[in-house]
Amino acid sequence: MPPIGQTVSPTPSRDALKRARQRAALLPDLLVEAQRVVSSTISGWHGRRRRGAGENFWQFRPFVDGESVARIDWRRSARDDHVYLRDQEWEAAQTVWLWADASPSMLYQSRGASVSKESRALVIVLALAELLARSGERIGYPGVMDPVISRNAAEKIAAALMTIGQKPGFPPDDRLQRFSEIVLVSDFLDPVDEVLGHMERLARRGVRGHLVALADPAEETFPYAGRTEFRDPETGARLTAGRAETLTEDYRRVFAAHREALADTCRKLDWGFLAHRTDRLASEALVAVHARLAGGLHASGRRI
Amino acid sequence: MMGGLSLSFGAPLVLFGLLALPAIWWLLRLTPPKPQTETFPPLAILRSVLKTEETPQKTPWWLVLLRLLLAAAVIFALAAPTLNPRDSILSGSGPLALMIDNGWASGPDWDDRQATAEALIGEAKDAGRPVALAFTAEGSSDDATPAEADEALVRLRAAEPRPIPTDRAAAATRLSTALSGGAQPSLVLLTDGLDSPRTDDALQTLAGLSPEQAVVYRPPLDGVVGLTSADNSTEALVVQAVRPEGSSQGASFTVHALDEQGRELGHAPLDFAANASTAEARFDVPVELRNDIARLQVEDGLSAGAVRLVDDSFRRRRVALISGESSDLAQPLLSPLYYITRALQPFADLDPAKSADLATSVPELLQRHPSVVVLADIGVLPQAASEALQAYVENGGTLLRFAGPRLAAQTGEDKLVPVRLRRGERQLGGALSWAEPQHVAPMAASSPFAGIAIPDDVTVSRQVLAEPSSDLSEKTWASLADGTPLVTAETVGAGSIVLFHVTAEATWSNLPLSGAFVGMLRRVVSLSRAGGGNAGSEAGGRTLPPYRVLDGRGRLTTPGPDVEPLTVGAGEAPAVGRAHPPGLYGTEDGYAAVNLLSPDATLRPLPDVDLGAPVEARGYGRSESLDLMPWLFSLALILFALDALALLALNGGLARLRRRLSGGSGAAAGLSVVLLSVLVVATLMASPVNAQQMNDSAPQAGRLDVDQAIEATRTTHLAYVETGEDAVDEISRAGLEGLTRYIAAKTSLEPGHPIGVDIAADELAFYPLLYWPIEASAPMPDAAAISRVDAYMKNGGTVLFDIHDDALTDLSGAVSPAQKRLRNILADLDIPPLEPVPPDHVLTKSFYMMERFPGRHSGSELWVEALAADPEGAARPARGGDGVSSLMITSNDFASAWAIDDSGQFLYPTDNADPRERELAYRAGVNIMMYVLTGNYKADQVHLPALLERLGQ
Repeated sequence: MPPIGQTVSPTPSRDALKRARQRAALLPDLLVEAQRVVSSTISGWHGRRRRGAGENFWQFRPFVDGESVARIDWRRSARDDHVYLRDQEWEAAQTVWLWADASPSMLYQSRGASVSKESRALVIVLALAELLARSGERIGYPGVMDPVISRNAAEKIAAALMTIGQKPGFPPDDRLQRFSEIVLVSDFLDPVDEVLGHMERLARRGVRGHLVALADPAEETFPYAGRTEFRDPETGARLTAGRAETLTEDYRRVFAAHREALADTCRKLDWGFLAHRTDRLASEALVAVHARLAGGLHASGRRI
Repeated sequence: MMGGLSLSFGAPLVLFGLLALPAIWWLLRLTPPKPQTETFPPLAILRSVLKTEETPQKTPWWLVLLRLLLAAAVIFALAAPTLNPRDSILSGSGPLALMIDNGWASGPDWDDRQATAEALIGEAKDAGRPVALAFTAEGSSDDATPAEADEALVRLRAAEPRPIPTDRAAAATRLSTALSGGAQPSLVLLTDGLDSPRTDDALQTLAGLSPEQAVVYRPPLDGVVGLTSADNSTEALVVQAVRPEGSSQGASFTVHALDEQGRELGHAPLDFAANASTAEARFDVPVELRNDIARLQVEDGLSAGAVRLVDDSFRRRRVALISGESSDLAQPLLSPLYYITRALQPFADLDPAKSADLATSVPELLQRHPSVVVLADIGVLPQAASEALQAYVENGGTLLRFAGPRLAAQTGEDKLVPVRLRRGERQLGGALSWAEPQHVAPMAASSPFAGIAIPDDVTVSRQVLAEPSSDLSEKTWASLADGTPLVTAETVGAGSIVLFHVTAEATWSNLPLSGAFVGMLRRVVSLSRAGGGNAGSEAGGRTLPPYRVLDGRGRLTTPGPDVEPLTVGAGEAPAVGRAHPPGLYGTEDGYAAVNLLSPDATLRPLPDVDLGAPVEARGYGRSESLDLMPWLFSLALILFALDALALLALNGGLARLRRRLSGGSGAAAGLSVVLLSVLVVATLMASPVNAQQMNDSAPQAGRLDVDQAIEATRTTHLAYVETGEDAVDEISRAGLEGLTRYIAAKTSLEPGHPIGVDIAADELAFYPLLYWPIEASAPMPDAAAISRVDAYMKNGGTVLFDIHDDALTDLSGAVSPAQKRLRNILADLDIPPLEPVPPDHVLTKSFYMMERFPGRHSGSELWVEALAADPEGAARPARGGDGVSSLMITSNDFASAWAIDDSGQFLYPTDNADPRERELAYRAGVNIMMYVLTGNYKADQVHLPALLERLGQ
């Protein structure tokens, strides 16, 4: 009987990019956002409800001496005796950091899943990058790429990942600014305290996060039976279970508790949390995260 | 062998292998089963669950025990243990005198006997004693002189069971002659357990040897059975059988009837009631089959007694009866056939003429190949009948004629009599005669009737007379006391003609009233060859060469050098002996069967034996000692299977299997394993049950589902054949749905929803038209289904075959798979000639005026049954033929063109984008439907002028 799960080789980010594009193509531009945002606000460019640099009309106001004559709206001014300026709404792009876990445990793929967790994480991250870049967000990848506003941000991330590579472990948070968002795609199998510590540090910096907790179906359902030796791909530790099927119930309970702890913390921090299994479609996670992200962006924009 | 123990080992050295058991134990304890290795990232979580670190690095004790047992079983098995080994029998020091029965009853267990004798001789050899060997079924050449054990062993191995009774007295004499004057012998009798006529003499002779030790072996007599007679009576073939007297328990055997090639023609149970030593088996098989029987044998009865060979005389003869007057049944006692019928009924199958017209009835009777044709008082035969009879006789038939007024009155030359007859009859006795009615002379010894006693009161008062000739006496089978022939016969070709010079009824003679008449008729019939031949009319006392003889195990073999030709006297059973073993004597063309047991034979068990010394009774010992090797190996195999199961359980394989079964998606492999095992068990244990169930379910296929039938006939439905391909069937359904709606919209016909029919099971007669899309990948309907379609077409249904891949128009001439499939289907159908729809066919006018019949494609013609050319109908605009074409073939893919979805949208584009093409496809469908429903009605244009006239007003 062949083993249920295996460690696969890392996915080339070029390949992941291609699949991410396919995933992203399935989603119309900010479909979810479009349902929420009123038509006056162009999707993605987050109107700040105040005067400033932007493209959209905000208000006419009387000309005050000292202002640039070039900003006078002559058409409006011609209608009466005053001279008016045309104010634009101030618009600002949001910075969204994306991060996919690169630890060896992510390379796990069981027979029930079509891809490894690492591959799925990359696809989700790159697809998000593609979507967000379309709507003009600043997109960064902590430790790999500084935020850029670029239509081909996904490609840039993929290229950067290929050339620079990524260190395993949690992302460096030194460059993360306030009010930025971060999407963390990982299996979060590190000890709960460690993960929570990282999250709280990020939260203290004013960064808002979204967790996509990936799990292989075998990790969730524990379909093992009989005398089985388990090996941790990260540490190499081994554990032998005499009759693995007797552990199924307990394991599922603890695994769910682990997840629940993460989700609880996220709720407390007002972060998003999404559990995703690699035997489901990547689009499902993508839609959910994107919906969450779009709503969150909107909300954070209003907060200012 | 380790003497003295009840358990002995053939190879005791192997037992040293048991010393290896501790080592095996140590090895088994050391190596645990290897776990499955699995990569598992959430190991930290798992570790928190797995509280006790399981390290059972040792195999469970019971598994070790199991494997040790397994190893021990194999070692013991290899040591070839035997339970109750044979112990030594012989005592004394003189020669060993062995008298071995090798008669017919020793056939089945001859090997046991031989083995016992070998063991005895082996013992004698070990003791250095000479051995005197006598076989009771051998002749005087059998040498009983004491010899070296090795020499005796050679003779023993060369000995064979003989298919003849034993002659113990002769063998005993040989033995006593050979041993007289020597030391006191150890006397061992290996008997077949049956008494034989001179056993007492033999025992006395042997007792005269004053043996030192006497041992008598007797086999169990349970399986000994002999067939004593086979009687081919009117209603059944009855086989009589005997078994040794004194058997108290009931027993049942099976008797098989085989033909010459050894094929089984039937079998019948042979049940001995308790305390009965005879039984009979009845074969209820037809006469024609019975006549093919060449051999009857008891199943598993490997002896000459359990086989009954039959020859020509066994076969039932078919006798054709023809009389000059066929309608005088009002006075049956005066009918010439009455006495013949009564005489022959028990022995032969009678076949009276059906009509009085001899010219037709005689050839008709002869076609059934009777053995004997009886002509009772027929004077002149029609030419045709005469020639037919002549040919029949020359080909080996027997013609039995009786005189009478008509024969006596005939004037012309009659070829079908054995002797020339004087015209008129001779009257003996009576008012105007001096002569007294004549008695019948005793039968001559050379006559076929030899042995038949004629009662004194049989007299002949009238007869026809033969012209005197030189060979008259040779041709005479029976004569009157004054020497005039009463029965004459002549061989003609391969057959013979027999003439009774008296009538077959009691007017000329009272011979037909006597039992001698029955005997004579029966002799004539039995002389005739079954199936229209003659076994030879020469007188009794034939000498027949041996053709095939039975061997000691009841098999037919070529005769050996000491088998002598058999002289068969008339009516007496030949004695079976060394020179005449049971078998077939004669030639391939005709033979007489000689059987071992006479009909009155009985079998008696051997009485207690008195040999003048204490007699030790024994059975043949093979069954006593038990070879344990196979049992031990079986045990080892079972343990091995248990071990495998235990390993599966330990490694979680069982749990995995269970989960796979409940899982569903990946269950195929597991399921197949279980199914396979279930199947094996089912076929092993319950195959009769299965057959029964199949029989039960078989008639259900033809039963009509009433609800479905009412539904189908409430309104007209279009129907399509379910091909088994879901996609194709869905297109058919959607297509016919579209056509149904179109028809309902445009015509007065409002069909119900289309119905898919399973041609193998559903009733087809309800549907006027079957749409049958031909799909090469669909399963081929079986022959029964196709014959149902054939019946449907013959009963007026129409099948529209649609090879929907546009293949009929393929110019390459290649045959597409769908076309091939259509050919295969049509191959079994009764198909009339076909033609493309001609311009004047009624199909083109049955509703719309159509020139072609497009579907989704438009390239193919619509093929229908060819109309007969109609010279006078040439002027008419439409021809309909006499009925509706029972099949139409197209490859235009009608269904796709008609197909609509639920909202009425067309599902498939037509090849030609013109919307009219779709319209035409629907119109084609309407025309076909109208044609199917109305037949040639539209072609009936007789009233057209009148109609036009009315329209004009």
